[in-house]
Amino acid sequence: MAHAKLESKWGYVSPGGILRYPEEPPFPVKEYDAHYDHIFEMMEELEAKGEILIHRITEEHQPIPVYTRTGRIKLIPTNKLWHHKSCGQCGNIPGYPASLFWFMNKFGLDYLNEPHQTSCTAWNYHGSGTSNPVALAAVWLRNMHQAWKTGYYPLIHCGTSFGSYKETREQLIMNKELRDAVKPILKKLGRLTEDGRIVIPQEVVHYSEWVHAMRYRIKELYEKEGKAKGIDVSNVRVAIHNACHTYKMIADDYPYDPEVYNGQRPAASTAVIKALGAQVVDYSTWYDCCGFGFRHILTEREFTRSMAIQRKLKVIAEEVKADVIITHDTGCTTTFEKNQWIGKAHGMYYPVAVMSDVMFAALACGAHPFKIVQLYWNCSHYEPLLEKMGITNWRELKKEWEDTVKYISELEKAGKYDELMEFFKEYDLYEPYSKTSTGKPRASATANMPLFKS
Amino acid sequence: MDGHNYGYNLPISEKTKMVPWEEKVRIVEEVKSDFRFKEYIFGCLNCGVCTASCPSNRFFDFSPREIVQRFLEEDVEVLYDMMHEYIWACSQCFTCWIRCPFVNNPGGLVAIMREVAVRNAFEATKDLLKPYGRVLLKVMTTGNQLSADMLQPDFFPDWGPKMADNMENLRAKRLAIPFDVGKSVKTAWEVSLETAIEMYTIWRETGIFEMLEKLDPNLYNVIMDIVEENEERYQELYGEEE
Repeated sequence: MAHAKLESKWGYVSPGGILRYPEEPPFPVKEYDAHYDHIFEMMEELEAKGEILIHRITEEHQPIPVYTRTGRIKLIPTNKLWHHKSCGQCGNIPGYPASLFWFMNKFGLDYLNEPHQTSCTAWNYHGSGTSNPVALAAVWLRNMHQAWKTGYYPLIHCGTSFGSYKETREQLIMNKELRDAVKPILKKLGRLTEDGRIVIPQEVVHYSEWVHAMRYRIKELYEKEGKAKGIDVSNVRVAIHNACHTYKMIADDYPYDPEVYNGQRPAASTAVIKALGAQVVDYSTWYDCCGFGFRHILTEREFTRSMAIQRKLKVIAEEVKADVIITHDTGCTTTFEKNQWIGKAHGMYYPVAVMSDVMFAALACGAHPFKIVQLYWNCSHYEPLLEKMGITNWRELKKEWEDTVKYISELEKAGKYDELMEFFKEYDLYEPYSKTSTGKPRASATANMPLFKS
Repeated sequence: MDGHNYGYNLPISEKTKMVPWEEKVRIVEEVKSDFRFKEYIFGCLNCGVCTASCPSNRFFDFSPREIVQRFLEEDVEVLYDMMHEYIWACSQCFTCWIRCPFVNNPGGLVAIMREVAVRNAFEATKDLLKPYGRVLLKVMTTGNQLSADMLQPDFFPDWGPKMADNMENLRAKRLAIPFDVGKSVKTAWEVSLETAIEMYTIWRETGIFEMLEKLDPNLYNVIMDIVEENEERYQELYGEEE
């Protein structure tokens, strides 16, 4: 296992130190912008001065070290995680978080999923400009304080949240004026430590980094359970699309690995596909964005469609004939999925399955394509992919899911709520709110509001 | 000459020409005074790698190289003109940032320019952001930006017939997700009232509500109704505890 080699050669326990440089770079690294790594030293200095508290990754988080672009070793916590959900994933592609939770259950890991979380609000900022760095910092620190308060370590599901939070962290560390501006707001919210410090996590961690760090355990699960079900991904041709906000925003702080393009391209997602034994196929526009563009997907859709079809889908279909595009961000998945059908009208129809790394990995490991991976919501043609993977009973599995929906609907329409709750007790894989971290009675910001009432 | 004599290919708009010089200087200085400005711009070789790899440059008349160059040359007229429609073409992908040999961040400069344009309630900004109202409504009141019920097929007819199928019997379908993610219909996840109240405090303290009031007074009023109602509920529920 490559990460075992990393552990034994460099170690990752560094008492009192956050920086863990290898003695020599493990792959050719760019040095001109290695200034970013300096912020980890500055964080320690700020903590020593009593300005911030670093939420540290400890042994209980079962960390796995990975390399970043500059050869820095980043610790990826794998256990006892506070799920910082993504509004786009939960609202649009629920198989994304569901697959992640499914893996965590499979591996017997501890995690916390609670309603005391806002989105990062960065989609809004990048799309509309109606926010500012102080507000973005306050939202981030508020969420990070909540995670710290619960004793769980934050795991960021969304690529934009991840990029924006890394950027906000750098701004906070480098700019006293920003820290001074945000502190009174956090004080008002009760989001400072008892001695008045702001809480900053040791590492900002994206879910794709978790998948990357866990790839060998995922591979073991595939060997043990996926293959036993007749699933085989070795013939699947996979095109990887890396999300801009994961690796172009604060570019240094994302996994690169000697085993993935000699450390010259982002390693997350590619590495897990390689570990599973599927075929990673390269294509000429790998670095291009998907065309999401924040406001563009809503209000300039001709740009989004053009970019998605001409620069990505067409290239991926014609150059490498991929069976699936693997992503690790909500926006990219949505853009590729939803902009395929419109190409039909112009003779530019390139049907290819689209899903995230964690969804593909869950399928490979035998997860239910509809109940868990929730492919029902995906608009792309995933059926040929399922056939190729050996999941040939997908029709029956889809019917099983649709029957469940029907059953829930009938119980609700008949007002049989007790029966419905009984059903959920058995059916739900994560007891809702069983781990809500405050002692206060539950109250929703939306449930009773006429505008939001479901 | 109608436009700029090199580089920026668009003619300077009549509206920009009519704005007093001092006002244009004030706006550009507001951008330059942002603390991030000095972290986003260093030097520029005019190599054009940012523009060559810019997705918006492929389909719009937009160039990150121009943004950097005009700031370095302090070209107030062009910068002011850019802040109306030009900057909204940027897709905020930051390909320019990762590829620039000087580590300039043109996408970051655009973010500051947009923020200043919104804060100063430019007319073009109001028009450009009108279709964005639904997102603003969600994010300001719940802290979520997208929910299952926002993907209505009549709003996204180009996303295909599957969308209509997805939206049928939506509530039961969301409840059928066996994890507590995406079970709600009108928010991405159920947001606790305490969390929403904290969010409102952040918007107030950082001037975001104020920004919105100038941008879209009608939307602002709708949002404030929800905010106030939630704050009253919070007081009723937790007032005595506080």
